[in-house]
Amino acid sequence: MGALQVIEMLINGLMLGALFALFGLGLSLSLGVMRMINIAHGDLIVLAAYLVLSTTPWSGVGPVTALLVSVPVMFALGWLLQRGLLNRLVGRDPMSVLLVTFGLSIVLQNLLQEIYTADTQSLDAGSLATASLQIGDMSIGWLPVVITGVSVAVYGLTHLLINHSPLGRQARAVATDPETARLVGIRDRRLFALMTGFIFAVIAIAGVFYGIRTPFAPSAGPDRLLFAFEAVVLGGLGSIWGTFIGGLLIGLAQVVGAQFHAGLGPFVGHLVFLVALLARPNGLFAPR
Amino acid sequence: MNAISLALLKTLLPILALLALASLPWYASFATQRLLVEAFTLFVLAASWNLLAGYGGMVAIGHHLFVGVGAYALFALCTHTGLNPWLAWPLAGLITAAVALLVAAPLLRLTGAYFAVATWVMAEMFRIGTLNSDWLGAGAGLPLTVMRDFGRFERNAGVYWSALAIAFVTLIAAHRLLKGSLGLALMSTRDARQAADANGVPVQKTRLTLWVVAATLTGLASGVAHMNILQVSPDASFSLHWTAAALFIVVLGGIGTLEGPILGVLVYMLLRENFAELGAWYFIGLGLLAMAVMVAAPGGLWGWLSGRGLPPVFPVRRRMPSATEPSPLPSTERKPQP
Repeated sequence: MGALQVIEMLINGLMLGALFALFGLGLSLSLGVMRMINIAHGDLIVLAAYLVLSTTPWSGVGPVTALLVSVPVMFALGWLLQRGLLNRLVGRDPMSVLLVTFGLSIVLQNLLQEIYTADTQSLDAGSLATASLQIGDMSIGWLPVVITGVSVAVYGLTHLLINHSPLGRQARAVATDPETARLVGIRDRRLFALMTGFIFAVIAIAGVFYGIRTPFAPSAGPDRLLFAFEAVVLGGLGSIWGTFIGGLLIGLAQVVGAQFHAGLGPFVGHLVFLVALLARPNGLFAPR
Repeated sequence: MNAISLALLKTLLPILALLALASLPWYASFATQRLLVEAFTLFVLAASWNLLAGYGGMVAIGHHLFVGVGAYALFALCTHTGLNPWLAWPLAGLITAAVALLVAAPLLRLTGAYFAVATWVMAEMFRIGTLNSDWLGAGAGLPLTVMRDFGRFERNAGVYWSALAIAFVTLIAAHRLLKGSLGLALMSTRDARQAADANGVPVQKTRLTLWVVAATLTGLASGVAHMNILQVSPDASFSLHWTAAALFIVVLGGIGTLEGPILGVLVYMLLRENFAELGAWYFIGLGLLAMAVMVAAPGGLWGWLSGRGLPPVFPVRRRMPSATEPSPLPSTERKPQP
């Protein structure tokens, strides 16, 4: 393999990682602020892809434009889920949310299978999916470049929201000390409902680009959850940019791993995650 | 009824029940036996998952790791050495224990949600590893061809008795374990880890013991379950469905109780036998039911029953030695949460 191919491989790995980072952002926020893990996170990414699949035929728009529908719908679903179900579990044994969302994961997978069959589907983004960028002798697909740009933009927006908005200030307060935050008048359940709405909106964006990039099926959710989770833990809890870097590393590991053996990409990703966990149990970028 | 005959009944009843179950191959059909093998092995799976989650506070979403390892260990031993499956069976249990010890190094550093999902990552690695191993039959898996050497009655009865044995051992082992000092250490660790640590409870050692015991029981049960199926494959043996079944059984029956998984298996098998033909809708219903139970009645069916005055069948509750007066201290037994 020449130097050029190596560089191309690394760039492709980082760009795949930018998508994984987008998968991980919502999980990072819910673990960091609400101390909850949503086991159905991956299935929701797949659901978002199917939502766009159902929107494009009757509206006649491309999948990216269909975000105008899927982002508000997903926001509403997230708000409802938190308001109607998960908020009842706040303050209970942390295991409760895990078990309830595991049930939700099984429900979603089977619901998608019932509605859309187990067949593999994909979102058609026309020329965006096939066009490529020539840099010297290197050829880089436009789609991964766009996904990377979107991922960075969504992270930037989240950073601004958390660090420079009243809601973000409340979120940081709850993340640091939930009891005191409640004591000084933060209505954490209302905040959580809005946050889960925001997380679902990010999931909508992640889902559409996942669906354009990769063929998907109702059973694809758990893998998305695992990649997202690895990005969060690798980056260290409580640091969204840590999650971003974590995502990049998992993407890189998978692409390099697949180079050695086609079936072992995710395996190498998992291995890197476990080794990093042994070396740095608190993640690479956990705030001191 | 006086006290002596009541005590006699309490001793005799389990013995009679066990005798009735053990003699079943002579009077029940093969289909009944196969159904009971499933029920017994699912019980072991659920009870060991419950040991970890309900008593140790360790929710292992990757519990199917031990299902896959136990089954593959048994099938690989039989395929590559021609060993009698019932001799390979305890060895498969040992191999599962060894794997559990090995993976404990990274996994038991974690707690809560991190532990939960990391066990899943580990199971996924074993699945992909198996999928890429020609020695283990790659994607197609392995059949249990040595079973051909046995007659139909021997084969069915042998598998049935193994399932009955492992279910019985699991029940006794879990009860003994929880009544002993490990049980006390576990419940104190689950309820207040830092306080337990500060009071000298060997938290890490307790978690490791529980992890290995649960793994071994699951590996043995999985060996029997797969003797029933006669085939292992990466996607079916390392399938999340095993963990999902364990979780549903425990949640429906009552998490953190010994009686819960028994009731849970009954409910689960009843639901499955009546509604499984609905396919995806059956799983949707099961998932929704488990979610509803978790939110509205976290104690499950057993919690509901014991809240209405039913005494425990397997008491693990501790009472303070009360020489002079009843102790005012609360018991260590877990109460169903409000």
